[in-house]
Amino acid sequence: MIVARVPPTPTPTDAVLRALADPHRRQILRLVRDTEVPAGQIAAGFAMTQQAVSQHIGVLKQAGLLTERRDGPRRLYSLREEALEPVRDLLAEFWPDALRRLKRTVEAANPRTVKE
Amino acid sequence: MPAEIREDVIVATEHIQAPPEVVFPYFTDPELIVTWIGQRAELDPNPGGLFFLDMGEVAAQGSYLTVDPPYRVVFTWGIPGNDALPTGSSTVEVVLTPDGDDTLVVLTHRGVPSSHIGDHRAGWEHQLGRLVVAAS
Repeated sequence: MIVARVPPTPTPTDAVLRALADPHRRQILRLVRDTEVPAGQIAAGFAMTQQAVSQHIGVLKQAGLLTERRDGPRRLYSLREEALEPVRDLLAEFWPDALRRLKRTVEAANPRTVKE
Repeated sequence: MPAEIREDVIVATEHIQAPPEVVFPYFTDPELIVTWIGQRAELDPNPGGLFFLDMGEVAAQGSYLTVDPPYRVVFTWGIPGNDALPTGSSTVEVVLTPDGDDTLVVLTHRGVPSSHIGDHRAGWEHQLGRLVVAAS
């Protein structure tokens, strides 16, 4: 078992998970997943201030989940799918990690007498 | 050992130095299952019986489909209230194969919605992220 008392360093995956932890932000991602959407149109879909929506967009951008493009005065956003990759990798590790714990637990509870 | 994701199937394997008879109850006994996954479990290891695992931030719920000690157990798996992976929407099959005095465990999770960005992928991946964090 790994015993670590040092706080782990935040990773890009943490930023993505934090960004995904909010239902409004997930809704924004749904809006922009297939097509570029202007900021104003995103804000129009929510019952909150434009400023609050801008903040959510900022968090998503910071996490690398949104691509921003300027078209004259407009800002257009689209989903940056690659940012979801580490989360998918995390998912892929769920069962292997669990089985590794199972192995440790079973073998610790049922020690074999050593035969070389 | 590594897992591979093929479309909507996750396969994970592990070699355990104990026979299947010893390993099997870790998938059916509430007190044993929480030694490696989850914090609290309600298990009724009979076909149609409840499979419930409280993992702190998130829970997994389904029902047992096949219970064939000590070689094979199949149960459904979902996250209550989550559209992306509703209760019982995916299936986990565990096959224990004797290898001398040891066991080869092959776990196959089918029906995981990972292959395309549907309405709910972000939600699903968030839940899984929480699941991973809660279980480790």
